[in-house]
Amino acid sequence: MTATSSRAARARRAARPVDPITFELASAALQAAAIEMGGVLKHSSYSPIIREMDDFSCAIFRADGDLVAQADFIPAQLGAMSLVVRAIIDRWGSAVAPGDAYLANHPYLGAMHTPDLNVIMPVFHGGALFGWVGTAAHHIDVGGVRPGTEGPDLTEVYAEGLLLPPVRLYRGGDENPDVFALVGAAVRDPVSTLSDLRAQRAACLVGERRVIEVTERYGPATVTAVFDQMLDAVERAVRLDLADLPDGEAEAEGFLDDDGVGGPPTRIHVRLAKHGDHLVVDLSGSAPQVRGAMNVPWASTRASVVYAIRAMTDPARSTNDGVLRTVDIICPRGTVLNPEPPAAVSIRHNTCQRLADTLIRAASAIWPEHAIASSTVAFFGMNLASVSPRTGVPSVMAEVVGGGTGAHRGGDGLDGVDTYMANVGLMPVEVAESSYSVRILRTELIAGSQGDGRYRGGLGIRREYQVLGAESAVTLYSEQTDPRFAPRGAAGGGAGAPSRITVTGPDGTVLPVGSKASLVLAPGSVVRIETSGGGGYGDPAGRDPDLIAADEQDERG
Amino acid sequence: MTGASSAGSGLAGSGPAGAGAESWIVGIDIGGTFTDAIATGRDGRVRVAKVPSTPDDPGLAFERALLALAEAGISPGAIRMIFHGTTVATNALLTGRTARVALATTAGFRDVLGYRNGSRPAVYDLTQPRPRQLVRRRDRIEVAERLSGLGEVVIPLTEQEADRVAAQIAARSPEAVAVCLLFSYLDDAHERMLGAAIARRLPGVPVTLSSAVAREFREYPRTSTAVINAALRPVVGSYLLRLRSRVRAIGAPPRLQIMQSNGGCLPADRAAEQAHRLVLSGPAAGVAGTAALGAGYGLRQLISLDMGGTSLDICLIGDGVPPVTSRQDIDGSPILAPSVDIVTVGAGGGSIAAVDRGGRLRVGPESAGARPGPAAYGHGGDRATLTDAHVVAGTLPAGMPLAGSLALDRDAAAAVLAPVAADLGLSVPDAADGIIRLAVAQMTAALRQVSVQRGLDPREYTLVAFGGAGPLHAGLLLREMGFASVLVPRFPGLFAASGLTSTDVRIDESRTVLAPLTPGLVPDLTSWYAATGRRLSAQLRRDGIPAGQIRLVASADCRFVGQGYELSVPVTPRGLAGVAALARRFVEQHRRTYGHADAGQQVEVVNVRLSAFGALADGVGADGVGPAAGGDDDQARAARRRPPARSRIGRVSVRLPGAAAARTVPVFDREHLGGGVVLTGPAIVHQLDTTTLVLAGQRARFDDRGSMWLEEGR
Repeated sequence: MTATSSRAARARRAARPVDPITFELASAALQAAAIEMGGVLKHSSYSPIIREMDDFSCAIFRADGDLVAQADFIPAQLGAMSLVVRAIIDRWGSAVAPGDAYLANHPYLGAMHTPDLNVIMPVFHGGALFGWVGTAAHHIDVGGVRPGTEGPDLTEVYAEGLLLPPVRLYRGGDENPDVFALVGAAVRDPVSTLSDLRAQRAACLVGERRVIEVTERYGPATVTAVFDQMLDAVERAVRLDLADLPDGEAEAEGFLDDDGVGGPPTRIHVRLAKHGDHLVVDLSGSAPQVRGAMNVPWASTRASVVYAIRAMTDPARSTNDGVLRTVDIICPRGTVLNPEPPAAVSIRHNTCQRLADTLIRAASAIWPEHAIASSTVAFFGMNLASVSPRTGVPSVMAEVVGGGTGAHRGGDGLDGVDTYMANVGLMPVEVAESSYSVRILRTELIAGSQGDGRYRGGLGIRREYQVLGAESAVTLYSEQTDPRFAPRGAAGGGAGAPSRITVTGPDGTVLPVGSKASLVLAPGSVVRIETSGGGGYGDPAGRDPDLIAADEQDERG
Repeated sequence: MTGASSAGSGLAGSGPAGAGAESWIVGIDIGGTFTDAIATGRDGRVRVAKVPSTPDDPGLAFERALLALAEAGISPGAIRMIFHGTTVATNALLTGRTARVALATTAGFRDVLGYRNGSRPAVYDLTQPRPRQLVRRRDRIEVAERLSGLGEVVIPLTEQEADRVAAQIAARSPEAVAVCLLFSYLDDAHERMLGAAIARRLPGVPVTLSSAVAREFREYPRTSTAVINAALRPVVGSYLLRLRSRVRAIGAPPRLQIMQSNGGCLPADRAAEQAHRLVLSGPAAGVAGTAALGAGYGLRQLISLDMGGTSLDICLIGDGVPPVTSRQDIDGSPILAPSVDIVTVGAGGGSIAAVDRGGRLRVGPESAGARPGPAAYGHGGDRATLTDAHVVAGTLPAGMPLAGSLALDRDAAAAVLAPVAADLGLSVPDAADGIIRLAVAQMTAALRQVSVQRGLDPREYTLVAFGGAGPLHAGLLLREMGFASVLVPRFPGLFAASGLTSTDVRIDESRTVLAPLTPGLVPDLTSWYAATGRRLSAQLRRDGIPAGQIRLVASADCRFVGQGYELSVPVTPRGLAGVAALARRFVEQHRRTYGHADAGQQVEVVNVRLSAFGALADGVGADGVGPAAGGDDDQARAARRRPPARSRIGRVSVRLPGAAAARTVPVFDREHLGGGVVLTGPAIVHQLDTTTLVLAGQRARFDDRGSMWLEEGR
């Protein structure tokens, strides 16, 4: 069906080309609409993970679901949402009506993992379906057995909270009370969740209004052609970039520390081939799907590939589904990157980060002159049951800590940041301690954690949390605690240090913790996390002696 | 290229200058290319001067501008006060020429400047450079002390520890010191104690306490603010010291007011210690001028549009007072200081038009800058710019003199447009038209961002268009946005300088509260507003401002419990008009801003803010035109007359944006368009510092102040 409508679109386009100026004016307006949607959502949302960490996306779609314009917030969701729109079309078809808004999060029906709630609205013009606008946002909790929903040791998607195939959150402009009631009953913080769903729908209303304005101004036939040309323009630009690079093939592999439930390391394998202006990404050498929640639903695997293509070509160019036309992704069902239901997927982000790193390393192998050392993919996460010291209200402290990025031929890596497909901020100490029963004893860069080289990797972060008040349940997870999997160097540079989690009880006893754990901590316990530094680039002997001296004086190791 | 001139033409009077001691108010704005000065007499006479900027020693251009005014007949001794907008703080930060700072932090947290907020400036770029840090890691000293999240002392700071840290800092011989300890917004005792110990060890070295410059929570932005203040104090201090001695050497009284980012000014003797508040000094002047000019006409709903060679600054003024945001970012570093809420777009006359690899036309953000500038300027520019597109279209007529005796070269403009046109498959005139329309679309998007996207209707606002390229696009924006009207001030190219002279002295103070809005909180808030109001008023009186000219404006940053972003809600000056009223206002504002709000939820107060304004300049209009010249009135409106013959200086062939073909359009000289004149578009109004385009179906009306009003309809 996609192929047919795409041929039809091409025929229409041939018949009625849009002049280049009208095309720019209309596509700029659509791009601005997506950004405006993002502003509405970010500034009025409750979930810190949306508002502080930008873990959301807003986009505009063609009637068949292809994403044509998006706001650049977080790469992890890009290239994924169009599958949700397709799932809505498949399920609701001709029943889709103006004023409807659909809610979906089902990892096996186009979504990524259950906490990412998609709210999507059709746009009608002249009584006909014209396009779609949508948002995807990470909610802290959508129910399930764990506070915060996620858990590496969950083994079925049914344990990962409320599962929503596309359902009608709004019908003809009115809230669908059944769905609101159902969601409200299933999640741990219904006030925040329902408010944020309303904020997502408010963002969609803004997007809908803007798309209609653009359509009324330029005419539906022109805007339909503009949609098509926006996809074509991205495809063409990516193809030109690819054509400039030498042809070649390379493979790379990377590992997760385990399978989420204490089993052996999970292999991610990439065979990347570039011929002319086309890429083939073959992931079939990756591990079979695993028992724990490290599996990656197809939408997220696709998003990882889209991310890597943008990072490899022109990072400044905004993208859309046109980029997918430049690549064939081979990934058999039943693998960790394309699992069969009901495999659990809630920690899929760690696997996606590992996939992104492996894709970049394969590209570095084909094009050594553009090689980039690996960034950390430790992605330390902690969900700590807590209580507000100001109000006494129970809550969950959700924490994510970044590390060092890889060095490259232009210079050193960045210290203490989130990497690749995410860009989550570090929670300020003054926010943490006024919101949760915790004291942060230190947050510092780890001297010596970087890979050595002509250019050095960025430093990892050491952070220590002391539990105050009462006994607290905690889920901890990380990757790269195994030194073999620490961030690699490039072009002769050294590897970054592995990450480490250390838990010390109030009496000074050290509890053994590997890369993942669910524990109950006594008051006074201290969790210390140390994240990986980035890999180095080039022969360390080639480093500028002035830079070496400056690093020494700055005690960077 | 130094030049000075009188406004001439009887518009602003041109009698002998210097009558009456201390009768002139002077505004001096230092821009990237030119330093502009405008002097206004009590009786409304105006003198202007334009000299090239001297980036290596900006004060030199300042001095030359004063000397140029002196040549124009303004004796320095007759100057009553000088207002100054400066980019010295901004440039120091952007070029890294700041003081070497040592930073004292709570033990375990010296790297807050290293990991910043934990995210990457550019999400997709794997080769982005490491952000510049204002304090080297070796110069960050840890202090054994700690407060809890509720402000209780967990580890007390001892005298011995304070002295140990002070000695360690002194051993590093810093040029300035910043102190930022965790939770100092709750209790500043440790910071004060440490600051005193450092001052004893390092007499004469400025010491900045984070609790003194930004008493707000979140350690990274507060540390960044304290460090930026410390890094700029020696730079701004020595600049202002030299400036004041230059002013004295010329013989002018050293009564100098410095523009701040917040749209108000500050006496020069207090500006260095508030150096982090000067970063938007330049752009804020035009916004302040817009508010003041609008006030002269009784207009409170205004949008300022300042378009120069490289960028476009837009600010929406909702109630006559320039809106401020509580935080700004410069070069990726946050500053917690109220700053005029300006949206900047990389769209200026020098913005480069190019076709990218996907075959798509782009205008900006890259700019040809002042040098080489557009190809039409003949300084060797070899890339197509927006200005070149206007020269090809004829909307900027070749052959008319511009500031600095520039003559526009139409052939050069067409030559640089040719490859762009070829890439687009268009003719050169069609490409020029497309570039102009795309630039206008970008400007429209920015205007929508400050109006429609905030739930505000542009039809209720007057656009004030200035800067070298603003008036050229004003008529086009009027058509796109449907503003109530468009006001082009008398001297659009000098408006930033003239806007300076109309500003008030302004002091801001804030404090983090972070508590639910309950009746129990009200007494605390009320007493903070009262005590802070008394303190700020006392400071303004020490600055020489009479009590009757002091005004206080209070606000509270509120959010629903659980949200992470605040909305600033105005608070009535006499304290809080009840919890319910504040909560209701917040809910209304939330709904207006975001399209939804749940009135049933608990509201919390995050920060309280108070601003004190002291009125300074009396009787000078923001356009530089004094009060004697009079304002718009019904009589002038009624006395509608045709433009005099001598104002018609030519007819040119123009392809109006969006039109299919060129047509002949008359050109008028603004010098000869006095009060009551109405001309109908299409027309081009020429003056030395700018060009205004009036579209077909629009009219331009001139009032007795010399302002030009663009309106739709004849």
